[in-house]
Amino acid sequence: MSTAIDDNVIHGEWHVRYNYSVGKVAGQFFDGLKQKRILASHCAASGIAYLPPRAYCERAFEPCDGWVEAGHQGVIEAATIVTAQFEHLPPPPYAIAYVRLDNVSTALVNFVRGMELSDVPAAAARLKPGTKVKVVFKDTPEGRITDFHYELA
Amino acid sequence: MAKNTVAVIGTGQTKFKTHYADKTYVELAQDAAKLAMDDAGVTPDELDAIVFSMAPTQFMGVNDCDRWATSHVWGTGKPFMRIHAGGATGGSALQAAYVHVASGVHRTVLVVGADRVAETPDAQHVLNLIWDRFYEHDFALNTVTMTALAAQRYMSRYGTTEEQFAQVVVRARKNAMGNPYAHLKGEITVDDVMNSPRVAYPYKRFDICPRSSGAAAVVLSNLDVAKEKCARPAFVNGVSAITHSVFMGDRMGVFSETEFSDHDGEHIAAYEAYRQAGITDPTSQIQVAELYDPFSTFQFPSIESLGFCGRGRAAAISDEGGWDLDGQVAIGPSGGTLCTNPIGVTGLVRVVDAANQVMGKAGQNQLPNVHNAVATAVGGSTQFFAVTMLGDDHATRGRVQ
Amino acid sequence: MDVFVIGQAVHMPAARIGEKRLEELVFDTAHAALADAGVRRGQIDHVTIAGCDELDGRSISSMLLAAPAGAQLRDEMKCTDSGLTGLCLEAMRLESGIFELGLLVSWSKPSTAPLEDVMRMRCEPFYTRPIGLNMAITDALFAQAVGEKYGFDEFDADEAVLEAYRRADRNPRGIGHGVPAMEDIALSPYLAAPLRREHQAPITDGAVAMVLASAEWLKRNPNARALAQVAGIGWRNEQYDLGSDRLAGLTGFRATLDDALMMAGLKNAAGLDLLELESQTGFHELAFRAALNGNAPKDISTSGGAFAQNPYFCTGLVNAAEAVLQLSNNAGPIQIPRIKRAAAHGSHGFAQQGNVAVVLERV
Repeated sequence: MSTAIDDNVIHGEWHVRYNYSVGKVAGQFFDGLKQKRILASHCAASGIAYLPPRAYCERAFEPCDGWVEAGHQGVIEAATIVTAQFEHLPPPPYAIAYVRLDNVSTALVNFVRGMELSDVPAAAARLKPGTKVKVVFKDTPEGRITDFHYELA
Repeated sequence: MAKNTVAVIGTGQTKFKTHYADKTYVELAQDAAKLAMDDAGVTPDELDAIVFSMAPTQFMGVNDCDRWATSHVWGTGKPFMRIHAGGATGGSALQAAYVHVASGVHRTVLVVGADRVAETPDAQHVLNLIWDRFYEHDFALNTVTMTALAAQRYMSRYGTTEEQFAQVVVRARKNAMGNPYAHLKGEITVDDVMNSPRVAYPYKRFDICPRSSGAAAVVLSNLDVAKEKCARPAFVNGVSAITHSVFMGDRMGVFSETEFSDHDGEHIAAYEAYRQAGITDPTSQIQVAELYDPFSTFQFPSIESLGFCGRGRAAAISDEGGWDLDGQVAIGPSGGTLCTNPIGVTGLVRVVDAANQVMGKAGQNQLPNVHNAVATAVGGSTQFFAVTMLGDDHATRGRVQ
Repeated sequence: MDVFVIGQAVHMPAARIGEKRLEELVFDTAHAALADAGVRRGQIDHVTIAGCDELDGRSISSMLLAAPAGAQLRDEMKCTDSGLTGLCLEAMRLESGIFELGLLVSWSKPSTAPLEDVMRMRCEPFYTRPIGLNMAITDALFAQAVGEKYGFDEFDADEAVLEAYRRADRNPRGIGHGVPAMEDIALSPYLAAPLRREHQAPITDGAVAMVLASAEWLKRNPNARALAQVAGIGWRNEQYDLGSDRLAGLTGFRATLDDALMMAGLKNAAGLDLLELESQTGFHELAFRAALNGNAPKDISTSGGAFAQNPYFCTGLVNAAEAVLQLSNNAGPIQIPRIKRAAAHGSHGFAQQGNVAVVLERV
């Protein structure tokens, strides 16, 4: 018997609900956002200030024991301009960047808005590592990472 | 040094393509298991244990699908465990099987897995769900954008151009023409890559691997079994897998102890594997590298991490043909991950292709005089790096040449 | 095996550990194990992780959790079967000779996602998912099959549950469920006959970490103290499809335990002083005891097992931690005098598709 096999499928979908615990550290960070403050956790042993805030320091492997407030200016460490439409992701084009904010040791990803993106290589050239950017908050932050974004300084 | 010598005595892989409409997941895995056992000349009774290689199950849609596959890969009643390290899974699974044998607990172990990445139309959505729900999930991160970020950083550090990355794709697709199992293959030009639709700077569509379905398997054994079963085994002479923090932003800038765009973990893993294998001059001692390079931009930092040239030098050597099949080290003679990426077994396919070169079974793509080959696997936020050294002589272990 | 446990930590269990991000639960446990062993993270040359994406609600959960588990720039490997499988893998990694000092970390926070929905999606899509199997339903099938074969009924299961709670009640490291009244068990609603709700061990959140060292490392670090030696390991899967032989045969349980016992140089389980079983229901406790065929150690599941705490997936590793406490005379009010050898058992998958066993010895 040799019949062509159709792509005969059984349809399935997968909706699982999750309740992710925020915990104290992330909770404090998100509370800070509501006041337009970006709080980084700090480890005295290593001297590293982390964004996203960490309960512990990866370098010292000790609990982070303090907080520092990040400046609202920083430099790009890495960036890209997304020009393809991905399922469940925003309509292109848009830019995202890892930015190391003032007073902080690590870089935090967010959207870079307010840029002309139609000429992709030209726009990419304006987002090179080392480029200065600033933080812009929403008028009414609600304690989400999307309460703010970056813009070229 | 390891207590027991470990050898690859059989390999198997299916053809890779977008979709297998005629087989289920478990049947695909079974095909590869059978191929590898036949190649090794072992029967299911001779297998002491199974290691199952499978990354996230959300693509194929059955939670912990290794349990479903147990009987199909002749695992019923046997020691059986699944290894999962995202994209590095296949490399890590091989190394887990390695310790089964190196420890002396088992003599003969089958490593097998399959993936069906096209079972869901939501694959990039699944790859967005891997990100931390609190801090990174919202920013359209997926494997494409995350590696685009690293590539942009690499270009900025070393002056690499989009055209130089494009040349990597041209070479990979050409090499894949000699590999009957490869998914994408063919003669293309740098212009073809440059003119394919932009996805996320600096990527165009051709800079990115396909989503592949298929299966792979390897039979590992100790020295006694290898002597009995295999005229020319590929000895597993070095294994190492280094992990970074998930947070890519920790790996950039002046305060970081590592450099995200350089694949530092791969360098650490490579030199540990080399130390175990007695490799002191990788460029002269290693003939073949099968790299985990799902993006055109992965090859240069990987080649540099493996010590085949200095940082920032790989692109210029690529332009000169130094990584071609007849170059100083043949990079990805199979066409590599750029041409074929069945995520849950990709790292294992790298081992299969590298081992086949050492065993003299690489068919049309067989290179002459392959004594040592290295296989890599990369996963997570480019944070898991597995490096495996294969050689034709286990006696070289620890010997300085 | 030349493999020694030199430190460990078990996170305080709770029905839901809601005050911590999963990352914090993992870090706190790994950090506490290192402190218990008296070693710094920098000394560790590898990390072994056992975690389940689907229970964590993440698609590559080790991405986030490898670093809090101590694996930053370390050789790290993750298995997904169970916490106790992780101990077997870790023991082989040390025994291979390429490592000397390792950290094993396993966690489970089933309160994050609906457990039975996760289990339901373990069904393949063609034959079982349309019918709908999950943990309770397959455990009920198991209960019926073993009851038939060994001649016990749900009243025996009621009694086994009550006994398990009595043992758990004496264990200060348990969650403190208390001892229910017999009728609370016997009259609890059926989930799937013959399995009643109170036949099941309640699921909890938790985490376990252990620091393990090779004999070589211990020789060079005479100040370190070994709490117990890993003497034998075993793990086996049975078939996924559930027939009566598969359900009632308990062949996986027996063969797994035999593997570990044989490696430890023991003929059967009677050579043990303690066996900590992972019994997800009263029926399991009865079935596993029956499968020992009279070669049972004097003490079984002294900790109360899953009825003391049950971070499903990690429960077998909690059993190993309890065995280590016993062998190092740190088990507190439930300490067994003069104990020399103990085994931890774990199981995973629908109706114990997988079994795992580790034999530990006093050093």
